[in-house]
Parts: sequence; C-alpha cells; structure tokens
Amino acid sequence: MAVTGTAAPRAAQKGFNATSLAVVAALICAAPILVVAWIALTGDTGDYLAHLAQTRLPTYLTHSAYVAGVAALGTGLLGTSLGWLIARTQFPGREFLGWVLILPLAVPAYVAAYAWLDLSTAGGPLYTATNGLFPTIRGSWGAGLMFSLVLYPYVYLLARDAFASQSADVYDAARTLGSAPWHAFMHTALPMARPAIAAGLALVMMESLADYGTVSHLGAPTLSIGLVRAWSGAGSLVDAARLSLVLVVVALFIFGLERAQRRRARSVTGSGKTRPPQRFVLGGWKGIAALLFCLLPLALGMFIPLGRLAYLALSEPSTTDLLDASLNSLTLAITAAIIAAALGLSTAYALRSKGIIATMSARAAGLGYAVPGAVAAVGVIAILSGTQQILDPIWRDLTGAVFPILLTGGAAALIFAYLSRFAAAAIGPAESALSRVTPALDGAARTLGATPLQTARLVHWPLIVGGLTSAGLLVFVEVLKELPATMILRPFNYDTLAVIAHSYAADERLGEAAMPSILITLVALLPMVFVARYLSSRSAGGQDR
Amino acid sequence: MKFASAVLATAALTLSACSQPDSATSDTIQSEQRVVNVFSARHYRSDEHVYAAFTAATGIDVNLIGANGDQLIERVRADGERSPADVIITVDAARLHRAEEAGLFARTDFSQLAANVDDHLIDPDGYWVGFTMRARVIAYSADRVAEGDITTYEQLADPRWAGRVCIRESGNAYNQSLMATMVAKSGEEAAEAWAAGIVANMARPPQGGDRDQLRGIAAGICDVAVVNHYYYAMLANSGQEADQDAAAASVLLFPNQDDSGAHVNISGVGIAANAPHSAEARELVAFLLSADAQRLFAEMTHEVPVIDGVEWDNAVLEAMLPFREDQRNVSELGDHNATAQRIFDRVGWQ
Repeated sequence: MAVTGTAAPRAAQKGFNATSLAVVAALICAAPILVVAWIALTGDTGDYLAHLAQTRLPTYLTHSAYVAGVAALGTGLLGTSLGWLIARTQFPGREFLGWVLILPLAVPAYVAAYAWLDLSTAGGPLYTATNGLFPTIRGSWGAGLMFSLVLYPYVYLLARDAFASQSADVYDAARTLGSAPWHAFMHTALPMARPAIAAGLALVMMESLADYGTVSHLGAPTLSIGLVRAWSGAGSLVDAARLSLVLVVVALFIFGLERAQRRRARSVTGSGKTRPPQRFVLGGWKGIAALLFCLLPLALGMFIPLGRLAYLALSEPSTTDLLDASLNSLTLAITAAIIAAALGLSTAYALRSKGIIATMSARAAGLGYAVPGAVAAVGVIAILSGTQQILDPIWRDLTGAVFPILLTGGAAALIFAYLSRFAAAAIGPAESALSRVTPALDGAARTLGATPLQTARLVHWPLIVGGLTSAGLLVFVEVLKELPATMILRPFNYDTLAVIAHSYAADERLGEAAMPSILITLVALLPMVFVARYLSSRSAGGQDR
Repeated sequence: MKFASAVLATAALTLSACSQPDSATSDTIQSEQRVVNVFSARHYRSDEHVYAAFTAATGIDVNLIGANGDQLIERVRADGERSPADVIITVDAARLHRAEEAGLFARTDFSQLAANVDDHLIDPDGYWVGFTMRARVIAYSADRVAEGDITTYEQLADPRWAGRVCIRESGNAYNQSLMATMVAKSGEEAAEAWAAGIVANMARPPQGGDRDQLRGIAAGICDVAVVNHYYYAMLANSGQEADQDAAAASVLLFPNQDDSGAHVNISGVGIAANAPHSAEARELVAFLLSADAQRLFAEMTHEVPVIDGVEWDNAVLEAMLPFREDQRNVSELGDHNATAQRIFDRVGWQ
C-alpha cells in the first residue's frame, strides 16, 4: 500500500515523467482480478459449466444485459438532464440541490430494493392502497429501476462537471445561427459532455452487472446470481471465477465503447476554457418544474425508501451502538478516497503518455469494478496469504516460526481491496477531467516559460480539481456501502454501518436496518458539504478574476 | 502542501488501523486474558448477548468476525496454519460439510461435549455439531385452505396447488437443503419431478424473502408458502400491526409428521484445525450447547433448541412445538447440495 500512497502525488508533481510509478500502482490494484483470472484458468475442469450452458446460462446473460441496459438508460436520462439543469440554469433551490442530488448514491441499491419491494409487494402499503394496481417492483426491470434511482449520481456528477466547464461560445454560436435551445443542446453541449457521460455510464453498467444483493432480492437472474450459485450451491469457486471472467470481458467491451466515445469527442473540444457559460434563468412555472424534476429522483431514490425503513424502525427500535461503526466507516472511506483520488490522478497522467503499458495497466486496474465484491475479495485474500507464505521461509530462519498474520485481517487489507475494487471509479473521472487539458494548453504554458511542475500546478490543477474531487467522492461513497470485501477482510470486532445494515436486512429485519442505512447517507453528507463549499468558493473566486 | 499533509494523514490512519488486529493478537499472547476467536456466518446482532453471557460465565473474551459462510471458508483455508480462527460457525449444514472437506476443522470428541444432542445433528465424522435447529415448514391460508388439505412436502407438487404456491428463489440455502433432503429421501429423479411440479404450481416468480411469502398468503396471491419457522415467529412478534395480521392469515404446518418428519437445517459449530486457543474453543462449544445459550437462541432468534428440558419465554415458538423432525443425519444435506442445485437449474426454478 505504501507504494500506492507515495507514488501518486509524486507522479502528479512530475507530470508525465513518472508514469512508471503510476503503472506499478495500477498493477497492484489490478492484481486481485488477475489472481481471480488465474484461478479461473488453472482450476480443475468439471462439467458444471457445460451443465450451466445447457440450463441457465442464456437466461443469466440476457438478464444481465437487460438489467444493465435499463440502468444505463435510466441513469443516462436522469444524470444528464439533472447535470444540465444544475450546471447551466438558475432556478429556486439550485445551489442546495447541486450537492443534495449526489446523496442517493449513498443509499445501497439493495437497501432501496428491500424498501421498494416491501412497499409494493402483495400486501404492502402501495399494493393495498391501489388495490393491486401499483406494479410490484421486482425482476430485471425492477432491479434496473433501483440502479437508476441510486446510481444516477455517477452520470449526474460527471455530466454536471462537464457542462459547467464547457465554453459557452459553441453553444451561443449555435443559438445565434438560429438553432432552437434543444437543438443547440443536442448538437453542442451534449457532444462535448459525452466523454464524461460515457465514463459515468460505464461505471453504472459495471456496478449493476457486479451487484448481487439487489438482483437476488428482486428475483432478477443475472450472471452474478449464477456466479454466486456456482460458488455457494455447487461449491465451485473455480467456476465462479470463470463466470466472473465473463463479466471482465463485458467490462473490457464497455471500456472500449467508452474509449471510442472519447476519441469521437476530441474533435469538438479543441479549444480550452474561454468564457464561462451563462446560466439560463428559469423563472415562474419553469423554475418550479425544474425544482420538482430534481426532487423526483431524490424522493424515489432516497426519501421514500429510507422513510419506509425509518417508519418500520419506529416499531422495532434498535439498540445497537452505531457510533463506533460510523467512525470505522468514515475512517475507511476517507482513507480509501484520498488514496484513490491520488491513484486516479497519477493513472490519468500515465494514460496521457499514451504508452501501451500505461494504458493496459490502467485498464486492468479498472476491471475490479466489474467483478462481484465477494469474488474480488478472494483475489485479495489469495494475494495476501500468498505473500505471507512466501515470507515464511525467511521468517522461519529469523525466528523459527511462520510469518505472523499481519496482512490478512488488517485495515490495510481492506484499503487494498477497496482500491482494487473501486479504482475504476477514480480513474474514469480523473481521466475525463484531465482530457479537458489539451496538449495545446501544455504547449502554450511551456512556450511562456513555465516548468512542467508550474504547468501542472497553474494550468492543470484548476481545470481538474473538480473532476478529481468527484473521483474521490465516488470512491468515498462506494466504500461506505461496500459489503462483501469488508465483511471478510475486516479485523476482529470491527463493524461498519454497511455491515450492520446488512446483518439486519439479511434477517429481514428492515426496521432495524433503517438506522445504519440512514446513517450511511448522513455520513456521506459530511464530505459532500465540505467539498461543495470548497468547490463553490473556488468557482466564485474564478469568476472574480 | 495540502496534498502532502493529506498523504501523511492517510499513512497515519492506515498504520494505526493496521495495528489493530496486531494488538488483538499480542493481547492474546502476552496478557492473562483468555480469548476465543470466532468466525461466524450467523448475522444475528443478538448473538452479542450470547457471547456476552459466555464471557460473563467463563471470563473468556470473544473476538468476532462475521461474514458469509463461503467467504469464511475461503479465508480460513487461505490463511492456513496461521489462521487465527478457533471456532467456525455456519448456518447451513452444507457449508459445514464444505468446511470439513476443506480440512478446516479439528476432529473433536463430541460424546461428552454434546452428550444431550441427538445423533442426527452431529457430524458422523466428528468435525462439527449443530447447536440450533431451523425447520423449513409449510404455511397455508387460514381462510382458503382446510386443515388436512396439505400435510407433506410431496403434496406441494400436486396439480391441485397449481398457481397457489409462494416460495423464494432457489439460491436460498434453505431451499437447497430442502431439495437435498428430497434427493436423499427419494432419489434424484423423483426429486427433480417434485421440483418441476412446484415450479408449475408457483403463484408468481420467486421474489423477496420468507416474510414476503407469508405476506403473499395474506394478500391472496397464494394459498400455501414454504418458509423457515422463525420468520413466521418474527412476523407474529412484530410491532407492526400489518405483520401481525399477515401472520394471523396463515397457519403454520410442520410437514410429514406421520413419516419422515419436518426438514430441519442447523446452525453448527466446529473447532478449527489450527485453533490457537483450542481449550477456549471447547468451552465456547460447550456453552453454545448449554441451557443458558439455548434459552437465548429460543427467545431472541426463535430457533429450536437442540437439547431437551430448556426453559424459555417465547409464546409463539412454544405454540409450534413439539414437532417431529427428519431423523436423517444433517451431514447428508451437504452430500446432496450440488445435486440439488443442478435440479433447480434444470427445472428452471429461478
């Protein structure tokens, strides 16, 4: 872990000279997934996969595509429209909504699924109130809907940042030339934001493919269900690893699409930042409509599910002490977020070098996101225990005993697992932010006599800090919610909010799962308030200039 | 500069966090305080009370890691001889079987330790013992189904229940163990025909947890459901009026009382092969099988005690007992788990 921690800032300072350290850091993050691949490829071959191909595999594949497709559609529409409203318009409550709209990301998708199924299932309050007309939120469309409601902030966050930093010139030119606002949006603002939106969608699709809790509760038979069944039902970790390789291949494909988007977008982002965009003032009913539109995903993704749980909580008051768990969650999430942001930045710089090794290691680091956490944790365990075994002979010479259990079961193992799993959430946004820094800007700065360090500090940093903060925030919230790796790698007697929420929810005690779930969103609020203040003070300063 | 300080703070956090498990182990070695390290797949927060009672009774502190059973097995296996695990607890006999096959348990003489536990709840190879029972039972609508209309698991596949059965997805460990029992009882072919019959009888695609199946009966979606007995008890004991109504709408039936008995799965425990504190581990196993712990399980998680003569205060559970449970050794559940899974896949049980 030390490598990751120190490599990142150094690489950031030296700019594109120290790509090798970033490459090493990225490869360390990729290692667990590579180990899973190794398990998959070298394990015993049984007939389980053949059995699966004859029975459930086609179902798993189609439903995975279905769930990820619905999630991408939902988050794409919500995230892009919300991002545009917040970044480019002015209406009552906009500033407040700007960061509140990120919050549903802190609601674990399975928690939303538990609450919505509870509300809409036969006999639930929505079912009863509408005489069974309200559809039961279930199956693959239900899971896709849940992901849309809690994962749209990925797209929103990145799209908002992209819209906000776009030059208004192109859009204004289109308007001046007679384009209707909608037409101008579709042909100027949207294409320019496409890399950011694509980066967000890639994250959404990978997260919904890797999810287990939501799809299992709502009865959506995706590939990750098949994977867990191979492991838990048939007892074959090897076949589970093989199925996760399928997910990895899908992730590579999604990455490929995202890259293609980015290349196509390059033509329209030729100029640097020129003139800050003017906000469209939405007055009267338009403003109210915008406000209501923004409140809708908040209500569906956060207030209604958490409200339902809170209502249930009143009848089953929990006595669990949540203070320690909150502190643990916060510590882990902050630590991982800072390291991940540094990693994302250094990897983005390494990618800028366009070296083949840099590109491949960055892509490999991102793959952890596509694999269910439980399987990724197996890779982490294998690496740590393998390292300990390698150290055994040396240690035995020194002390006569086997190497102590220092690596597994420590918080460092957890941070390692988080980085491996969520590196994609940091690299994508950082890369998208850095893509705004065109080579022409570097050239101009250097021509004016700036050193590489000065170029990075004075030219790059102001342009990328927003995107980088988003990267850190995404990882922060991901870690708060993370469950499978946390459960198996945590030290003794070490609870996090997500672990406690899950242990009640798994027991179908939704009321008692409410408090830890609500606390997860409250804890997520802390850095968001801080970051929102920091960013808005910066942009205020920017306008003064 | 901000960056540098952030990195320093991070390093400090990581280091301090790293030192936590370290200090736990050094406590174990250096001080007089006795500890036992528990790896448990039981996710019940109320188990804290059981461990607190153990510490109060014996002075032995409990270190706990809770995670999914398959993950626990993988971690203990990978850690090998340096694993800190003293006892491994799972909530499914098939997982115990798998842990046994992975060589994670030490063979233990249960003749004294589990003297009062029925033989069929103890691993014949002597690696683990069940300490609570959970029965997979049938619930039927109090209004729409007459007493005696259904009395066995086999009848669930009867066409008379077409479109009337609620049951959850087949990834659920208890559906798997029920299917494993059917395989053990009547062979793979008959079990598959039975599973296909249930799929044909389903009132809706599998969804939700066991409580949702009971709510399905109350809402009139289905007339019979298959659930674990304690979910019914949880609904009946809930503070929600709607939950109590849902429980009241169905009658709980322990199937096959005239022949094979109701299917039970177990929460089971074994002592780890490389247990650093095996004496303390034995004491914990003995405590889990004591009247004190058994009373807590019956009262807090509505699980059925494995020893007779335990006094407890839980009217809902009391009303369910006694029942006749399947006398087949629960280790057979592990033998047939993989077969059960394949049957589910073949008959398209989601």
